[in-house]
Amino acid sequence: MPGTPQSLTLTAKPESLGPVTEFIRKGAREANLPELHVRQLELLIEEILVNIWRYAYPAGASGTVMVTYSVPRPGEMDLEVGDHGMEFDPLTAAPPDLTLDLSRRPVGGLGVHLLRSFARSLNYRRQQGWNRLSFGISANP
Amino acid sequence: MTIDRSQIGDKVVLHVAGRMDAESAAYFEAQCESCIAEGITSLVIDLADLSYVSSMGLRSFVAIAQKLKSKGGELRICRLTGLARQVFEITRLNQVFPLYDSVESAVIGS
Repeated sequence: MPGTPQSLTLTAKPESLGPVTEFIRKGAREANLPELHVRQLELLIEEILVNIWRYAYPAGASGTVMVTYSVPRPGEMDLEVGDHGMEFDPLTAAPPDLTLDLSRRPVGGLGVHLLRSFARSLNYRRQQGWNRLSFGISANP
Repeated sequence: MTIDRSQIGDKVVLHVAGRMDAESAAYFEAQCESCIAEGITSLVIDLADLSYVSSMGLRSFVAIAQKLKSKGGELRICRLTGLARQVFEITRLNQVFPLYDSVESAVIGS
């Protein structure tokens, strides 16, 4: 049924990136997303998962990550990524200074900026011990 | 991700194809590091067949470019396309690195 949410729960570890990417590609096919949007979606998911490994479950703490998607209409997907690690709202990160030249550019710190740039309706909430980051992606005008 | 190395004149060109993500960025960085260890101070990176790059890949580009610059050289990037071009533009790294439309112009540096 169109719009029925699909969920995948996995251990929060770098090796889960592959299976999660496969999972959301399935949704992208259902949504008939163009290839460039599929890659943007993969990037969004990777940036979020990397933050979860780093900040929600630091120092090797084990935990789970749950990815849910739905296809509200062709060309669009709604997603939510949840974890029950330490409270972490990536949207509070200070924006990077993109005007710095090479010698003063920090190595890293661009993930959240990419997230904000590609995701639509990016929203964070802390709910019953879970970090929940929701967003949409759309190829529609 | 695959990386093919070639030499044009006195410049080493790395043709990077596939995906540069949290898993593979370290491999790219290691290949560049091994060039630096050989005494190479400038690298041309051909990204015509790079279909995907995340912030983890961008970290590697910045780290290697800073190392090369500290040795008096530079990282020249050519043939950016698709998502990789978008990502470089959104992060304004297209204004930080010298970008070229062809391998030949990157090798010459103009």
